[in-house]
Amino acid sequence: MQISRRQFGALAAAALAFRGQSAAAAEAGVFVAGQDLPANLDPAQVLDVQATQYALNAYDNLYRYEGNPAKMQPWLATDHTVSADGLTWEFKLREGVKFHDGSELTAEDVVYSFQRLLAIGRAPAGPLQPILKPDSVSAPARYTVRFTLAQPFGPFFAMIPMVAIVNPRAIKPNEENGDWGAKWLASNEAGSGAYRLLPAGYVPLERADLEKYDDHFMGWSDNPHPIKRIEWRPAKVTSTRVLALLNGTLDMTDSFLPVDQVERIDKSSNAHVAKNVTMRLLVIRMNNTKSPFDNLNARKAFAHSFNYSGFIDEIVKGNAVRDPVPIPNTIWGFPKDVSGYEFDLKKAKGYFDKAMGEGAPMKRPIQMHVQQPLEQTVQAGQLFQSDLATVGIDLKLVNDTFANLTSISSKAETTPDMWIHWVSAYYLDPDNWIGQMYDSKYHGTWKASCWYSNPKVDELLRKARFTTDQEDRGPLYEQAARLVVADSPDIWIYNMVEVCGVSNRVQGFRHCPVGSGGEMRWMHLSA
Amino acid sequence: MLGFVLRRALSAIPSLFGLLVVTFLLIRIVPADPAAALAGDNATPQQIAAIRHQYGFDRPVGEQLIIYIGQVFRFNFGESQYSHRPVGLDIRQRLPATLELTFGSLLFATLVGIPLGVVAGVYHNRWPDFVVRLFSITGVAIAAFWFAIMLQLLFSMQLDWLPLRGRTGTGIILPSEVTGSLLLDSLIAGRLDVFADALRHLVLPVATLSLGALASIARFTRAGVLETMQKDFVLYERAVGYPRWRLIWIYVLRNSIIAAVSQIGLLFGALIAGAVVVESIFDWPGIGNYTVQAILTADYKVMLAVTLLIGVIYTIVNILTDLTHGLLDPRLWEQL
Repeated sequence: MQISRRQFGALAAAALAFRGQSAAAAEAGVFVAGQDLPANLDPAQVLDVQATQYALNAYDNLYRYEGNPAKMQPWLATDHTVSADGLTWEFKLREGVKFHDGSELTAEDVVYSFQRLLAIGRAPAGPLQPILKPDSVSAPARYTVRFTLAQPFGPFFAMIPMVAIVNPRAIKPNEENGDWGAKWLASNEAGSGAYRLLPAGYVPLERADLEKYDDHFMGWSDNPHPIKRIEWRPAKVTSTRVLALLNGTLDMTDSFLPVDQVERIDKSSNAHVAKNVTMRLLVIRMNNTKSPFDNLNARKAFAHSFNYSGFIDEIVKGNAVRDPVPIPNTIWGFPKDVSGYEFDLKKAKGYFDKAMGEGAPMKRPIQMHVQQPLEQTVQAGQLFQSDLATVGIDLKLVNDTFANLTSISSKAETTPDMWIHWVSAYYLDPDNWIGQMYDSKYHGTWKASCWYSNPKVDELLRKARFTTDQEDRGPLYEQAARLVVADSPDIWIYNMVEVCGVSNRVQGFRHCPVGSGGEMRWMHLSA
Repeated sequence: MLGFVLRRALSAIPSLFGLLVVTFLLIRIVPADPAAALAGDNATPQQIAAIRHQYGFDRPVGEQLIIYIGQVFRFNFGESQYSHRPVGLDIRQRLPATLELTFGSLLFATLVGIPLGVVAGVYHNRWPDFVVRLFSITGVAIAAFWFAIMLQLLFSMQLDWLPLRGRTGTGIILPSEVTGSLLLDSLIAGRLDVFADALRHLVLPVATLSLGALASIARFTRAGVLETMQKDFVLYERAVGYPRWRLIWIYVLRNSIIAAVSQIGLLFGALIAGAVVVESIFDWPGIGNYTVQAILTADYKVMLAVTLLIGVIYTIVNILTDLTHGLLDPRLWEQL
């Protein structure tokens, strides 16, 4: 390589231009997203908030949750019918919907998408597997999809938005050893969504570039100046994420901002905090198989020792609403008459003494695992530690990661004494929370990591799951919730108010509990 | 010299093998079930069991270790559990960014640290010495993450001179990859706009990562210079009127720098390790960031591969350090 004298001069000039050029120039039409990317891009393999956000932009679904409170909207489907016995569901599709490769989306593609999801058998398929077999999805007509369920299943319709429709013509040529294209789709995209992935701009967990899909079936008349390109550039450290938002090089953060950063953003002139009540519960788990948590009085002593209002009012500064049961207070099935456990150290001491009298080892050191880098879990742990000390309980905090915690909670003996996590909204049905947290059939999953077992609760939750009428299901969940709360297997703290940092140039931000407002087709950028 | 390099390379193989075995056992012996983490939210116990079987997590740890060692000997580091991409490919994609950052930091630390050390040694117990000593103590004591945030606040937020994070700005179309170093590749492609942009992005991470190394090199150089200045040949050359700058910057420096060179070799390993923090704060897309993600997602094949890679880099740097010693002081060849 040779550098000419002219090039050298230009180089020197460019280097000297450090001071003259703003380091924080936001580009018109380019939205820089600071949220984390999903572990991989295949919507059949990964299910978490990040994967949902990505899929909302790159893929379409038969129905989709929109708004807050969330409502089911017809999306690729125009409508649906369900048989009287609740077993046969038919969805009519829009005609003329185009995948990103230009091919038309038909019922056969929907069948392939569901069959692929079930065959890959990862988390997104979990709730559907008991009632849906590959041959129970069919395409009786070009634009009609039929599901024949093994038995009536209450949450079925609520789960429909979890399934992204993929393009078999893009995937099949890339299949390896019957993997349904899992390896290929982990780093590529085969959707019809409002934005399409630019494969050259994707580096796992580091960056992803998406461009507007002009031929998206909804058209763009509702948004004359949409975002042209999304540059996903996750910021790993909270301080950097917030500084980038404040200096205009990032347009949106995640929704787990610490309170001090919320205040900092609120004071700035470049950005604001979008606050939205959602359906994300914060729960402290107790391993009910380990002493002293196998003792009801011991569990109640812990439940009365958490300073709920202090945590919500002082530490998260009101960005949460007390929720005393394992069902969000914004969904049907929530038992309004249950007040749960209140912070009362006198009562806690009473239960502590009772548990001691029953031989529970209340003085043994208890380990509570908190999540790094989620600061709020640490703050909750520290607050709890200090109040438990006054009762006489020695709580030790252990730093851990979510991946490791989900991993070690697959067996009762390796599940920690206590740990803390959120339960997010994936399908808006009480089954997403109480159903998967307290039905003993889910033992071995992190959602059921308190290892609670009550045959009566199992019966109620299963009955609710296999009943189709919401009028009948609601009371079953309410009854199950009352029983669970009476058994006090966990400590339910709050339903979150999501706090998401958003640049002031972003207009049209729409929040939905599913996806945390990460659907970008509604947004535009002001100059 | 070739014999020396071969001897050292062969003697490193048992160490690297030990590193591989110990790391594998440490990661796999903890009571964790990566299948549960991999299955994700809403997974059923049956799904977790199926994944456990699919990835061989249900086999005895010894058997898993033998299979893994067999793969490594074929230069196959397996696939990331999450991205499904070969770990080797992910590392190849990220290593150049880390090397660019690390070499940049080492170069900066050396170019600034050695002259500072010389000045401090020459002006022993006078104000330049005090300033350098204060700087080097502070440099070693300051936590990298704190210093990084201070630099971001000053140069990115207040002055708006330098970018806050990342390796390039938005909307930059990257030149085709030749070396993996963005600075070199942009020069090769004649893309001076990209070169300037990449350089601007490199400044704050390099300043952060090099601070401790710079202070350390300055201290070692100062100590070496102080010792050399007491030698008879210095006294003699000063007595005969040898030019002072030539005496110090060539002869004194050459005889003082052995310890500093050893330190530079050791620092390279420390810089690679320190890159984990710096890359996270500045969103630098290198191995450090990749490792943090792997730890947070329990992607154990990535953790194993990165550990082995750092071991190999450390070994190579140690061999190079010994060779440099030999070049600086040919008498040392006999001991190597």
